[in-house]
Amino acid sequence: MNCRSEVLEVTVEARQVEEAMLALLHTILLHRSSGKFHYKKEGTYSIGTVGTLDIDCDFIDFTFVRVSSEELDRVISKAVSEFKDALSNTGSDGMGQISLEFYQKKKSRWPFSDECIPWEVWSIKVNVVNLANEQERQICREKVGEKLGEKVINVVEVINRHEYLPKMPTQSEVDNVFDTSLKDVQPYLYKITYQITDCLGTSVSTTVRRLLKDTLSL
Amino acid sequence: MAHFDTEYQRLEASYSDSPPGEENLLMHVPEGAKSHWHHIENLDLFFQRVYNLHQKNGFTCMLLGEVFELVQLLFVIGFTVFLANCVDYDILFANKFVNHTDSSKVTLPDAFLPVDVCSARIRDNAFVIFVLTISGVFWLHRLLKFLYNVCCYWEIRSFYINALKMTMSELPYATWQEVQARIVEIQKEHQICIHKKELTELDIYHRILRFKNYMVAMVNKSLLPVRFRLPGLGESVFYTRGLKYNFELIFFWGPGSLFENEWSLKPEYKRGGNRLELADRLASRILWIGIANLLLCPVILVWQILYAFFSYTEVIKREPGSLGARCWSLYGRCYLRHFNELDHELMSRLSKGYKAASKYMNCFLSPLLTVVAKNVAFFAGSLLAVLIALTIYDEDVLAVEHVLSSITLLGVCITVCRSFIPDKHMVFCPEQLLRVILAHIHYMPDHWQGNAHRYETRDQFSQLFQYKAVFILEELISPVVTPIILIFSLRRKSLEIIDFFRNFTVEVIGVGDTCSFAQMDIRQHGHPAWMSEGKTEASIYQQAEDGKTELSLMHFAITNPQWQPSQETTHFISQLKEKVHREATGGPSDTHPLSESEPRSLIANVLLGPSTLNSVHFSADGSLTNHAAAGLGNGASALRSLSPISSSLQLRGSLSAAHRPSGHTSTTSKAMAGSGTDAWTVSSGSSAWEGQVTSLVLSEYASTEMSIHALYMHEFHKQQSRGELSRHTWHRQESDESSDSIPDEVRSEPNPHSRHLLRSHTFPTTVPSPCAIPTSASAIVSTTRGQEGAASSHKSSSQRPFSGSTADSFSAGGRVLRSARGVPMGGWAEEGQAAPRHPDTLPEEGLEDDMPPHIHKVT
Repeated sequence: MNCRSEVLEVTVEARQVEEAMLALLHTILLHRSSGKFHYKKEGTYSIGTVGTLDIDCDFIDFTFVRVSSEELDRVISKAVSEFKDALSNTGSDGMGQISLEFYQKKKSRWPFSDECIPWEVWSIKVNVVNLANEQERQICREKVGEKLGEKVINVVEVINRHEYLPKMPTQSEVDNVFDTSLKDVQPYLYKITYQITDCLGTSVSTTVRRLLKDTLSL
Repeated sequence: MAHFDTEYQRLEASYSDSPPGEENLLMHVPEGAKSHWHHIENLDLFFQRVYNLHQKNGFTCMLLGEVFELVQLLFVIGFTVFLANCVDYDILFANKFVNHTDSSKVTLPDAFLPVDVCSARIRDNAFVIFVLTISGVFWLHRLLKFLYNVCCYWEIRSFYINALKMTMSELPYATWQEVQARIVEIQKEHQICIHKKELTELDIYHRILRFKNYMVAMVNKSLLPVRFRLPGLGESVFYTRGLKYNFELIFFWGPGSLFENEWSLKPEYKRGGNRLELADRLASRILWIGIANLLLCPVILVWQILYAFFSYTEVIKREPGSLGARCWSLYGRCYLRHFNELDHELMSRLSKGYKAASKYMNCFLSPLLTVVAKNVAFFAGSLLAVLIALTIYDEDVLAVEHVLSSITLLGVCITVCRSFIPDKHMVFCPEQLLRVILAHIHYMPDHWQGNAHRYETRDQFSQLFQYKAVFILEELISPVVTPIILIFSLRRKSLEIIDFFRNFTVEVIGVGDTCSFAQMDIRQHGHPAWMSEGKTEASIYQQAEDGKTELSLMHFAITNPQWQPSQETTHFISQLKEKVHREATGGPSDTHPLSESEPRSLIANVLLGPSTLNSVHFSADGSLTNHAAAGLGNGASALRSLSPISSSLQLRGSLSAAHRPSGHTSTTSKAMAGSGTDAWTVSSGSSAWEGQVTSLVLSEYASTEMSIHALYMHEFHKQQSRGELSRHTWHRQESDESSDSIPDEVRSEPNPHSRHLLRSHTFPTTVPSPCAIPTSASAIVSTTRGQEGAASSHKSSSQRPFSGSTADSFSAGGRVLRSARGVPMGGWAEEGQAAPRHPDTLPEEGLEDDMPPHIHKVT
């Protein structure tokens, strides 16, 4: 596919899933959003401002920054909670993947519908583990926090690279590149999908689980 | 609005959407999407289409071709049904008389049945209805595909016109390399591929040939079940279009295939964990596809017969000899194909070898058959002569029943017989012919060398180069045989196939999953017996057979002079080029430190062919003795077939001397080095025609240069493997039957010293005299060519200092080029290292217990 793909992998406890996902998705979206464009007559535009917000997690020792747009948060939270529900329905030790896909639309000739061509896909693989006692939970809380911190730095590194981004559009094309439905922020067109996989490489999940257990049983 | 309780808050000033001091704000100018060619979703398909459109000579040609194909299809179906149902053959054969009022002549329309009778007959015949429905569905499918294609290729057409700035009318006269150079150029501007700033030629090739490379590698590693040992027939190869289609269906694009989409292998196939389970799944898929083939067999069979009938009867009638003609078999095309070789490159290479190949095959006319054929031809000829004479005397003879048909039959019979009678005035030297063939086809099993005169070699060569008639016959029985092969032969290989795809798939950034052989990485897939000794780290399982990696690398580097490979590869290429060059110029100043370990006068060997003894004279004295001159003439004539254009296109004054091998390579190489730079500037410049000529000449030289390199590498390989227990790659199917089998560790590394001792220049007597033609014949050859050679030797002796100087200028030019290449451009060379290359994507999860015993390096 003519598209970058980044994979993040996290191992969390069931109750941490939602917050961990929100943290990562919001971090990515923070860097992939801009202020609203205001086009002028001469074909130039100015960019509005974007506020940010610190969010403290309840179940993880972690604080992340997100765009201070309630609407955007609502959309993301909805997708994440759907994912969480689907994950918990499969049983205690589910494994799933949520992906955030940035795409652009391309107008096509008449017989074909508009193409949505992704240019960057972030896949977050989640392993859910069960922990036996409170002590392990406490350790896990810290560990996951650290891990998420690393991931956030990871994300920033990737985004910092000088790589392909869709060109800034003219007024007529702005809908092909940015999601203009929100009124206070304008992220690149994105799509959140998730899939729950039980069989997705059991060998991998077992080894990961074993590794995790080894590190936890200090 | 939202209320924020953190310290990060919006500034009041920007609270409203249009702030007051607007003039002071930063204003941006949108670039907009000037063209919609940036960021193309499916680059594989895109490049394939670009290539196809180029090969089909532009949009109009392609459109017309496809329309006619559709019409042809309709015609085939309609005409068959008409012939079967609507013709009253009794009238046609005059068994029944028609009563005409006006004249007694029978006209064609008389033989047609009336429409209602005809349609009734069709309606009553269930089989015809069945055939009609199937072909109707097929035709509709083709029509839809055609319409879809028109839309897609219209886009490609506008890509050519708007982005590449090439009109459709000049497309047939532009080489693919030019088109490719422009694509590479516009990547910088449009970013077709988003992964990197610059595209390389290799990326484009990889995308176009992704699956073909896999097929070539699988044939190279003898994974595909295409060779069979039939009782009574010996070893034979069966590989038809139907079978190929099924293989591709199973591996690449069919439902549930190994590939997820065009560019990536399904992730579960990249892990070794559940390989047994995956193999089971693959086996059952193959079984189902085999059964489906079996069920569809009658339909396909009917189709094949109809198709063959309509496409070949006309040809056979027109030139009956065409059935006796040969063509490169499908298997041959796979076996002889380099990695990363496009269709047109392969075809031009094989076409150049065609003449020599058919000549070679004609050497082996069975004397028994010749005697029979001569006599049959005599009797048939006399009958025919009488019939024709009678006809000329009175044409009423033609009206006698079966006279016309017997004339036709006798004519065919004579033509067939004549093809079994060798030309009296031809003298054949199989060894030399095989060498000329090798110069074009670039691959042959080791044991052919020196055995060119043997019948076994001929039989094996005929697997690559089969009779057209056999080809058609195989296509006809393919629907029946294919399911059998799938169910009984391919299914057993499912585990190996799974292992193959896992071990030999690499993910290259910006390209996706490709066959790791196609990376042409000497280190990972080189074969120590093919010049990459010391550089390769490949295990036997990983080595490409027949020096495919090395030859492919050379081929790609020569056809794409602009390509910038990695450091190591560049080193290999330049080293090899230098060696070939040094050998070609045959300078006595072999004082290069490396030459100690190199066989000397390899090129001389190559050029002189069988008369190896002369080559020793040649290189040792540096003077052209009479013998050497004769031999040189031989080589020159062999080489002359390599460069037909050089004799016709006298572009440079120095070209007229190009027939002499010594001058030949140096001028060629010089032209390569020189025009390597200016051809490209010209082609991107204004004068299209000039650029064209240059690039045509350039590609011609490239093929000649590649031929010389191929010959050199084979010669090197031969000398290197002498004394070593030769591994008969032709029969390797049994040797590496399965990756599960215990690796052939016994294959000892040959002692390098012993090999050095066996070099030809020290022990010329160890070279077997391979030319097996009668001595008298060889005498004729050498005398006739001796004169020619003597004349040329005279010229070349005066030319000698020149060739030396051109050599110097070449190497200087080469160095300049190389230093220019050394500048990192953020291209493949850099990113290639950053790219994750895991040829054996064996997981690190400690699953070695159910891994195939990974064959380790033999060091």
